[in-house]
Amino acid sequence: MADQDTIDLVKTIEVDKYKYGFETDIESDYAPKGLNEDIVRFISAKKNEPAWMLEWRLEAYRVWLEMAEPTWAKVHYPKIDFQDLYYYAAPKSMAAPKSLDEIDPKLLETYAKLGIPLKEQEILAGVRKQGEPSRLDDEGNEIIAGRVAIDAVFDSVSVVTTFKAELAKAGVIFCSISEALREHPELVKQYLGSVVPQNDNFYAGLNSAVFSDGSFVYVPPGVRCPMELSTYFRMNAKNTGQFERTLIIADKGAYVSYLEGCTAPTREESQLHAAVVELIAHEDAEIKYSTVQNWYPGDAEGKGGVYNFVTKRGDCRGARSKISWTQVETGSAITWKYPSVILRGESSRGEFYSIAISNGRQQVDSGTKMIHLGKNSSSRIISKGIAAGRSDNTYRGLVSAHRKATNARNFTQCDSLLIGDQCGAHTVPYIESKTSTAQFEHEATTSKISDDQMFYCMSRGLSQEEAVALIVNGFVRDVLQQLPMEFMAETQKLIGISLEGSVG
Amino acid sequence: MIQALAKTPAEEAFGISLPHRRMEEWRWTDLRRNLVKPYPPHQNVVAANKDVERLIASSPFAKLTTHRIVFLNGSLDQAHSNFAGLTFELGVPSSSAVDDPVIHLNSAIEPSGLTLRFDASMDVPVEIIHIATQGAARAMALRNRIEVGEGASATIIETFVGEGDYVVNAVTEIHVGAGARLDRVKVELESHDATHLSYIDCTLAKDAKLNELTLTSGSALNRQNGNYLFAGENANALIAGAYLLNGKQHADTRLVMDHKVPHCTSREMFKCVMDDNARGIFQGKVIVRKHAQKTDGKQSSHALLLSENAEFNAKPELEIYADDVVCGHGATAGDINHDHLFYLQSRGIPEAEAKSLLIGAFVGEAFDGIVNDVMREAMVAFAENWLTQRKAK
Repeated sequence: MADQDTIDLVKTIEVDKYKYGFETDIESDYAPKGLNEDIVRFISAKKNEPAWMLEWRLEAYRVWLEMAEPTWAKVHYPKIDFQDLYYYAAPKSMAAPKSLDEIDPKLLETYAKLGIPLKEQEILAGVRKQGEPSRLDDEGNEIIAGRVAIDAVFDSVSVVTTFKAELAKAGVIFCSISEALREHPELVKQYLGSVVPQNDNFYAGLNSAVFSDGSFVYVPPGVRCPMELSTYFRMNAKNTGQFERTLIIADKGAYVSYLEGCTAPTREESQLHAAVVELIAHEDAEIKYSTVQNWYPGDAEGKGGVYNFVTKRGDCRGARSKISWTQVETGSAITWKYPSVILRGESSRGEFYSIAISNGRQQVDSGTKMIHLGKNSSSRIISKGIAAGRSDNTYRGLVSAHRKATNARNFTQCDSLLIGDQCGAHTVPYIESKTSTAQFEHEATTSKISDDQMFYCMSRGLSQEEAVALIVNGFVRDVLQQLPMEFMAETQKLIGISLEGSVG
Repeated sequence: MIQALAKTPAEEAFGISLPHRRMEEWRWTDLRRNLVKPYPPHQNVVAANKDVERLIASSPFAKLTTHRIVFLNGSLDQAHSNFAGLTFELGVPSSSAVDDPVIHLNSAIEPSGLTLRFDASMDVPVEIIHIATQGAARAMALRNRIEVGEGASATIIETFVGEGDYVVNAVTEIHVGAGARLDRVKVELESHDATHLSYIDCTLAKDAKLNELTLTSGSALNRQNGNYLFAGENANALIAGAYLLNGKQHADTRLVMDHKVPHCTSREMFKCVMDDNARGIFQGKVIVRKHAQKTDGKQSSHALLLSENAEFNAKPELEIYADDVVCGHGATAGDINHDHLFYLQSRGIPEAEAKSLLIGAFVGEAFDGIVNDVMREAMVAFAENWLTQRKAK
């Protein structure tokens, strides 16, 4: 009986409560609609790219023409007309050279509204309270932990990158990829496409041809990046695809933690987002990559929303290197995303922690690939899927051990939670072991929030929604703990918001 | 881009195209590449009586039952069969309309078969045995139907033995009626050069119970598909499996548990042992449809890799559309636990024997569900024999 009550309740509550859905009214420069070689040349020219980069893009474009759209994921959407999109959009005011003072106040206002501080003295809420004494290190410099350097990307261009000077002192390069192409072409040339080649898949091919901006990070040998790096992606222009490219390199013994956040305005038509992220970890290096993806998910009837078709892959190139992906997926109408790690180095380690929440008509097909090539490599996968409303939530993952990956080790746990009887939760893991010394363990469960749990919480005075948020936060705790402090509090709130109207 | 592929000699002979690794369900078993040479159907092979009797006797259940239906080289062998006390109907049952490459191939080969009915409970097991004798490379097909009527119970053994190079394609339709019970054991002990393909299409009515074990140890190339439809509430199925593979053997099982109605229970438990260059695959899928609340579905597949070059692939899938369910799967792959081995050796058990003990215990769990003691012991004895031969190598 209680089941029926909650189901009825779900129907009465509005699902659609996206709070980042405002639009910034700003004049933009567009490339002509559609895609052809001229558009690729146009983007490359806009970015003042070297000739080899244009060649690289054109090669990608030609490969892409030959490729077919993948259809194996458990998602359904009308066919995308790739000629009916703008592949480049930039605020007009961005033509001027950038320093924070010269930035269009409208842009600053947008980021302020989103809670993203672009002024360097500001810090993210919840990290260090105002007036708290700063700490000094051995040499008397202020410890800058708790501060976050941000690269803000608006449609096709990077608006500003903060704390650049301070990072440069440590030798860390953190800038937009367009700038990296101009300032550090040798690094970009060496690493771009070395993890995700142009012909990797349909969307990676498209991205390679038309990517407009994104972040570039290089941490030199032995350097521990002094602060969290972050990119904030904002899609604004209409009918525009966002194709960003992120490249992060941690040289021998380096460490970097990187955060990524995304939002988009509420629109009736769907928007395409096809990003590529490449991570390279050399010997003893470590990269921690965290994402909070909150693109506009479409309304309760599934109208609008972002198609999030992303290729993310890390390459543990050196011995004892480590790459860790943490993702919180609450937005997007459709998610097609499998952050992977190639465990090439001896004793390298890959981690994947994921919370995927789907509500309304959202469709999520996400997971990871752990490809063990090196001896003694190990990996860990913790995936928590929560399906509510009329959504579909799929975990799709691969764990494989090559013949030479002796003593490879994997532990996988994927748990699904269903809220309501109109949604679906699916698990599609692939396990491939080619060596007897590999130890693979895989576990998956599916369950619902029990009436007992709800009753207990509500008898203590929590409302139904608070109770669900509390229980779900407990369900995803293992993953939440992996998030940097800055994101944890925000994510807990986000989970509550995403599940509003889905009480079960 | 999927292009029309040129037909292979095998495809020419069968008159249909074979599944290949570009098809998701066949990603680890590329039939098109592995069945290259033609296996023409319906070759007349003359079988000597003593060979037939020897092969019948090679079944682990030879001494267990006298109720036996013998198919010899793809056709019913009335002379060696014993139908006493059985209700049956000769002829291929009207085929189910399942769209599956194994069933299409079965139809292309033109199978022989019968329908076996159990309207009352029968205590003695009935063995359906297929024998392939030495002869020209050829394809043979069976299509049988087993119906267990309301409230009845039955025990069926399906045995496959043979010698030489051939293809066997066996489709079995099973209907377990309301409140009925079927115990089923299938042993695949084909020749080491043979290819064995099978499809089980099973429907469970209200309160029905199915308890089965499939042992796979014979053929060079094995692919077994199973589709279990839970059509009545409170139905219950235990599907166990054991692989004992060595050399270059390849075995691939794909099972679908289709929960259409509430309150059903399904259990899958596969224990796979791979030695030498053998390759084992387990693909299991549990579907819980929208109104199948209170479903309890669990799936586990465990692999023991005994050699550096052995391989195991698994794809344990869940597809769930109802919220009040308990579903899960577990999959493991690895070699013998060295702590266990050390423990036994420290008690004075020689290494080879200790390994056999551990492998025996590992695979033995799959046999635990067999209710008939004699049948279970026959399976345990088979595994022990396999291990003795392994040690002797």
